[in-house]
Amino acid sequence: MSQVTVEISPDALVTELAVQAGAQVARAGTPEDAVDSVVPMAVVEPTTAEAVARVVGWASQAGRSLVVRGGGTKLSWGASPTSVDVLLRTTGLHAVEAHRHGDLTATVQAGATLAQTNAVLAAHHQWLPLDPPGGAEATIGGIVATNDSGPRRQHHGVPRDLIIGMTLARADGVISRSGGIVVKNVAGYDLARLLTGSFGCLGVILNATFKLAPLAEASRTVAVEFPASDRFSAFAAALVDRASTPSALELAFPPATMLVRFESVESVAVAQAEEAMSLARAHGGTPTVLIGHDESAVWQKHEARIFAEDGTVLRLSVLPSELTSTLAWLDETATAQQLDYVVAGRAGLTALSVRLNGEIASQVKLIRELRERFPSGRGSAVIRRAEPALTSHVDVWGPVGDALPMMQAVKQQFDPVGILNPGRGPGAL
Amino acid sequence: MDSEFLVELERIVGTAGVVHDETELITYESDGLVSHAQRPGVAVLPETVEQVQGVVRLCHESTVPFVARGQGTGLSAGALPHPDGVLIVMTRMNRIVDVDIPNQRIIVEPGVMNLDVTKRVASLGYYYAPDPSSQSICSIGGNLAENSGGAHCLKYGFTVHHVLGVEAVLPNGELIHLGGTAVDSPGLDLLGVVVGSEGTLLVVTKVILRLLRRPESVRTLLAAFDSTDAAGNAVSDVIAAGIIPAAIEMMDRTTIRAAEAAVQPGFPDAEAVLIVELDGPANEVSTLFEQIEAISAKNHGWGVQVARDDAQRARIWMGRKAAFAAMGRVAPSYYVQDGVIPRSTLPEVLRRIRELEQRSGLTIGNVFHAGDGNLHPLVCYDDAVKGQAELAEQVASEILSYCLDVGGSLTGEHGIGADKACHMPKMFSDDDLATMQLVRVAFDPRGLCNPDKVFPTPRLCGEVPGPYRAHPAELAGGAERL
Repeated sequence: MSQVTVEISPDALVTELAVQAGAQVARAGTPEDAVDSVVPMAVVEPTTAEAVARVVGWASQAGRSLVVRGGGTKLSWGASPTSVDVLLRTTGLHAVEAHRHGDLTATVQAGATLAQTNAVLAAHHQWLPLDPPGGAEATIGGIVATNDSGPRRQHHGVPRDLIIGMTLARADGVISRSGGIVVKNVAGYDLARLLTGSFGCLGVILNATFKLAPLAEASRTVAVEFPASDRFSAFAAALVDRASTPSALELAFPPATMLVRFESVESVAVAQAEEAMSLARAHGGTPTVLIGHDESAVWQKHEARIFAEDGTVLRLSVLPSELTSTLAWLDETATAQQLDYVVAGRAGLTALSVRLNGEIASQVKLIRELRERFPSGRGSAVIRRAEPALTSHVDVWGPVGDALPMMQAVKQQFDPVGILNPGRGPGAL
Repeated sequence: MDSEFLVELERIVGTAGVVHDETELITYESDGLVSHAQRPGVAVLPETVEQVQGVVRLCHESTVPFVARGQGTGLSAGALPHPDGVLIVMTRMNRIVDVDIPNQRIIVEPGVMNLDVTKRVASLGYYYAPDPSSQSICSIGGNLAENSGGAHCLKYGFTVHHVLGVEAVLPNGELIHLGGTAVDSPGLDLLGVVVGSEGTLLVVTKVILRLLRRPESVRTLLAAFDSTDAAGNAVSDVIAAGIIPAAIEMMDRTTIRAAEAAVQPGFPDAEAVLIVELDGPANEVSTLFEQIEAISAKNHGWGVQVARDDAQRARIWMGRKAAFAAMGRVAPSYYVQDGVIPRSTLPEVLRRIRELEQRSGLTIGNVFHAGDGNLHPLVCYDDAVKGQAELAEQVASEILSYCLDVGGSLTGEHGIGADKACHMPKMFSDDDLATMQLVRVAFDPRGLCNPDKVFPTPRLCGEVPGPYRAHPAELAGGAERL
């Protein structure tokens, strides 16, 4: 699809970007700007939405490939680019544009970090209830573009569930809006949801509007050690059966650990934690209840299990009924292939992350066999982070099913020249 | 319709599945919005996905427009037939395909009624969350097309939050699967844009829904207030206290009286009543319920009724859900819109509606999902009085403009359909609408799938009058404008 053919010098490119966005915000690319070790020719960090739109429109006309970067926490996700002409940084657009606390909504520019956003919203005891890994540096645009989330997905969902409106710069440089600022709205197509999780391949997100949640008054976390991972499923099911409402329900292995968080008013958090403790004991676990600093520490440690160390990271989505067998298969196969692995993630939703370390060839074999276990629509294993040595042997996304041609048709409509994050969108769009 | 085309249709769905008798077609000329009526060229009632594919493929090859219709309860003429097209009636595809409690999933065909999903799993302790007021008579396919909500969407979200996947027929007749039974599926979120696309992108043939565990405890409070402003302040205080109830509904004096006349729910005769429902773990519900009672008292709520059991709760909800139908007791006809406003602007918008009521002379009842700002102004009129129907439509349109003035939306749950397509440019710019059309063109390049809905067209809305420009013939002296 890409028509990026005509040669251009980095200096000439910077000059063009300076014309579109201003001389102060355009410069040549450096190794620090690399996208999966590919250094962009030029970097631009516009300070207005209109300047972003001009840059993108120009890139379409000139046939220049463009990768969008926010905090850079997820820049290595997806396939490696073959070349990058322009790295467009959204960090020049970092305002919390509106916090309508009486309506529990906020509009935030793409380049604002989640941490910065939530610091503003906290003034009215509210927050954007997302807790993806790297949330201190991750920007709203990046979180939305990857539909990334964390443990609180159990209760609050993913960006797709919270987004109610979006302004975007189309590939042809036109600014367009969909949705709005009200939480209930079925007027027109929901382009905000289409763009959520599109990995920057359909347009550049300028701002997004979300519904918010009140900050909980109290929190308790029950950490449970189990003798083996085959207890996870029954314990999670028992919590569901008791109509328990944890804000997070996580598993990790090895060692076999579960974390259950309750956030509500004090008396309720305490009571629900106590009930979870007794359920955990009934399922052969050893529970501890954590509050305050200890509680924060256990969650930091949990987040670090996957991303704090090098290695391939997979996102695994399976049916709850297949959790135990999938974990058993993973353990058996990784052991046989002499791979180290760690698994952690949403036990209640069976959306997990797996970190693999070891021989690339063995990892490739494991990923292929894992994907073969899932009939279409009944599970997936997407590569989040990996060395180019691995992604050159195995597709990042895996089977996308019979919807791929329609995804390509949508991409063709939104980005006919193929400049936006070429080859790196979902399904290699 | 062309007789060869009809023969082909009968070959696909059988003679019993094709309706082309002019009288029989009257059944299908409207959906729930009867002010729009149009007999379809022909109606078909497929029973299998292969038949749906066959019909759509035939339409594609013959360049014939088609419209899918479920139970026809929609309120925006979204299922209004095309005069030269095929109406695909999905009501015979009403099987529950699979119930999977361990995974909290159910797979249904689009003709299954919303409430039947819950009925199927209720004894197992589960339910399907979206609960539009019409849930006993509306089908899942229509819910998906309109992204239906309901009274409890404040806490639980809309159809889009509860649909995990679909099987569907594309406008060229090909089968496509979006999403799946697992929570995440790789690829673009086409499902996210298909839900709520009002049947303009594809025809859904199977739906994977998420089931929820019944909450341990539910408590419902009804309180009366001396003004809608006071009731609105109570709602604000609930939100400010950090409480997200399962539902907050408000009714004004007109709709309270209508409901009372129709179903006698025992509501106080007040300027406004609020219904607040909490659900969740028992200890959480009882703790937060005390706060709700205190907020009600602080805002001078009176006549408080607390539902202690299912029967009492059902009575309160009956009063609320009957409000629309009950308006027949106060007026021969009414025109309803469902504009949305930022909840905090409720007092301002209600004041403008009251002024409009006085100015127009038409009674306007208000019943709304107060938690999410979704209004349902019921503009009463009498068809027998010449010009009143048109006046009611103008009044309803003006209320929509109030919603847009405060940053709201044309519709919270009824959809745009044919009814409000001409209003879309008031809410979205030409560029916004053109961007949405990119999706339409990708799915339906020939524009055959439920045409003339959602987007304004010259045929529907007339040419937008621009400044006068002389025709070249006039300039050349060959014509003149009389």
